[in-house]
This record gives sequence, structure tokens and C-alpha cells, in this order.
Amino acid sequence: MTDGGRRDARAETPTFEEGRYVYCLVSLEGTDGTSLETEGVEGEPVRVVDAGDVGAVVHDCEEIYDSADLERIRRWLVRHQRVVDDAGDAFGTPLPFQFDTVFRGDDAAVHAWLERERETLEAALSSLAGHWEYRVEVVRTDPVDESTLVRADADLTDLRGRIEDAPEGAAFLLEKRYERRLDEVRARRRGDRADRLRDRLADHAREVHELERTRPQSVGELSAAADDGAETVCRLTLLAHEAAEAAIGGVLDEVAEEDGLEVRFTGPWPPYTFAPSFGEGATGRDGGPEPTTGTDAR
Amino acid sequence: MTHIEVGEGDAENGVLALVVTVVELLVDALEREAIRRMESGTLTDEEVDRLGRQLAAIEAELESLKRDQELEEPVDQLRGDLDGLVTDAIQRLDEDARSVNRPGYSVFEGDAS
Repeated sequence: MTDGGRRDARAETPTFEEGRYVYCLVSLEGTDGTSLETEGVEGEPVRVVDAGDVGAVVHDCEEIYDSADLERIRRWLVRHQRVVDDAGDAFGTPLPFQFDTVFRGDDAAVHAWLERERETLEAALSSLAGHWEYRVEVVRTDPVDESTLVRADADLTDLRGRIEDAPEGAAFLLEKRYERRLDEVRARRRGDRADRLRDRLADHAREVHELERTRPQSVGELSAAADDGAETVCRLTLLAHEAAEAAIGGVLDEVAEEDGLEVRFTGPWPPYTFAPSFGEGATGRDGGPEPTTGTDAR
Repeated sequence: MTHIEVGEGDAENGVLALVVTVVELLVDALEREAIRRMESGTLTDEEVDRLGRQLAAIEAELESLKRDQELEEPVDQLRGDLDGLVTDAIQRLDEDARSVNRPGYSVFEGDAS
């Protein structure tokens, strides 16, 4: 997918003399020191700039990261994610920033910003403390038998009967209707299964979000082969306390025991989906502030 | 904006795949309408049967054209792209367009350059 607007924005990428690439914010409460053993994007040394109990995991940079080389971008993204993971291991749940978020200015400027926003940042960090993001994907590897669906649905049963008695042309149209109805029935069963799972997971998670059923193609999967005929029932992402992990696993085990279903459970991840947006300037989706972007591509 | 790739290599085949895709979508719509009329009872049994036979013939013709010209895969691909395009468009209407159009980087604080 090519984004025309994005390309226009690139023509006028923001410039700055000194900047700090920000990976994430961490809570320094109860930790000793601010040392973090990890290597940043392009091998840059990573440091923690702190203000009270809040630390920003950064490296020094002079320009934004932009490249036409997808493999290079993939390496950057992986590195970014690795640093956020390492920060999480060292300091507890981090507040992750999007790849390529740069703070204009030096350490003192970052420090001043942390000081100014301290109340908001501390509240956000302490609210997320001990919570992680978990991803759940339920896949039907073995489709439900068509005859089972026909038996359970009066419309399908009726259509099957009509098709048998109909002349060729009418049978063709009835067959089309039958296929559409079959799709509807499968979709409804999928939706019901997903709703039930959501409800059960909601007992153990702080938030449950349903993601698009088809996984968006990511840079790493550009040449991925077509899927194996398995059908995704649902993809969910949860924000849950680490103590609830076992209970969530238990719920998922029950689903995995159902015939033809497979469950993929990953995590704990830094709460990428659940991190609030903040900063100064523009108003965010939920009415809160968010970082002002260098150029507006819209 | 999303670009739909027409034809990997052979432009002529790419255009043919696009034409077949559009005709297929049209036939889908016709089938839908035919089913609606059949179920509404406004057509006689003979009319329903004739309509069905005509649509079946068009569909068979399209299938054999796709087979002969090896268009099955490109047409599937185009239909998939179109689905994605429609989904994107609906999402853009549905949600805040911000996340779609936002540049891939953010620079904040300090003097804007």
C-alpha cells in the first residue's frame, strides 16, 4: 500500500540540530539507578533521562529515521521493540512510544518536559504498573461440517430441499442463495464464539479489545505465503495484570479443547495498544493531548 | 491513497484481469438482485429459471475465460485488494482519520523548524 500523503510529508521532513529519540517512559520508583544494558536503533547507546520517579529511555539523534529500504526499517523496528522490552524487564511496565518519536532538544529539554508533565506521566505509569498487553488469536483449523450447519439452520435445510426439486436455472440461483446463507451462518457462529470469549476474558482483564480479524500485513511479512485455509475466529488484545495471566491461560485452554479450534496466546508485551497519548499541542483521539507531529500530512 | 497493482509484468493481461474482475462484480450484483426478485415472488417460475440459466451461462463463460488466460490468481488478488480498499474507506469514515494519515515519525517540543 502506498501512501501518497506520506510521500508528500517526506519531502519536508522536520530537521533539528539536537534531538532525543524516545523509546518509552519508565517508572523509577523503587529501582536503584538508571542504568539500562541494551543497544538502540543503529547501535546507538541508550540512556535514561530522569526526573524524579519518571525516566525517559532515549538515545541522541540528529535526524529522524527514514529509509526506502524495508529490510532496514524492519531492523529498526525490531531494535526499537527490543529496547522497550529490555526497559520493561529492568523497570517494570513501560509506557512505549511509537517508532521514530523524537524529542527536539537536549537532555535538559527532556528533563524539563518530564518535570512539567510529571503528574500526568506518573499517574499513567502507576496505573499501568504490573499490567501487560496480551494477544489472543483463535483460529478454526478444521471447518465446521456443512451438514452440521444445515441441520442447525432452518433456512439452509429449506434451501437444500428446494434445490433438489428445482429446474436447472432456478437451482443455480437457489444454490447461490444457499452459499450466501452458509457464509452468514458461519460468520454468526464466529461472532458468537468471539463474544463469549470476550465476556469470559473481561472477568480477568482490565480491558479487552477486538482487533480486525485479518492480520494487517507487516513489514516483516511482505512476502508471506497465503494462509493455509485456516479461518481466524477472532483476534483480541487484552490489558491485564500479570497476576491474572494464569487465569486467562485457563480460559484459553478450555477454548483450545474445543474441536477444530486452535488458540495462539502471546505476551506479556509492553502495553502498545493501551498507552495513552500525551504531549503538548494537538488534541488526541480521546480529547487528551498528544505529541505534535513535525509535519501534518493531511 | 491505495494503488491497485495491475499486472505484474504483462500490462495487457493486467488490464484483462481488471476487466474480468469488474464484470465478475457486476455479475455478483446481478445475482444478488435476481435472488431478491426470486424470493419476493414477483417473477414466474419460468422467468426465475430463465434468469438463472442466463447468469449460470455468464458465470461459466467467465470461468473458462479465466482458466484459458490464466487469470484466476490475478483476479483473486484484485478482488482482495478491492475488499481491502473498501474496508479502509469504511474505516476512514468510521473512525478518526488521524491514525491513517499520520506521518511515520513524531517530533515534538522545541522550536519548529
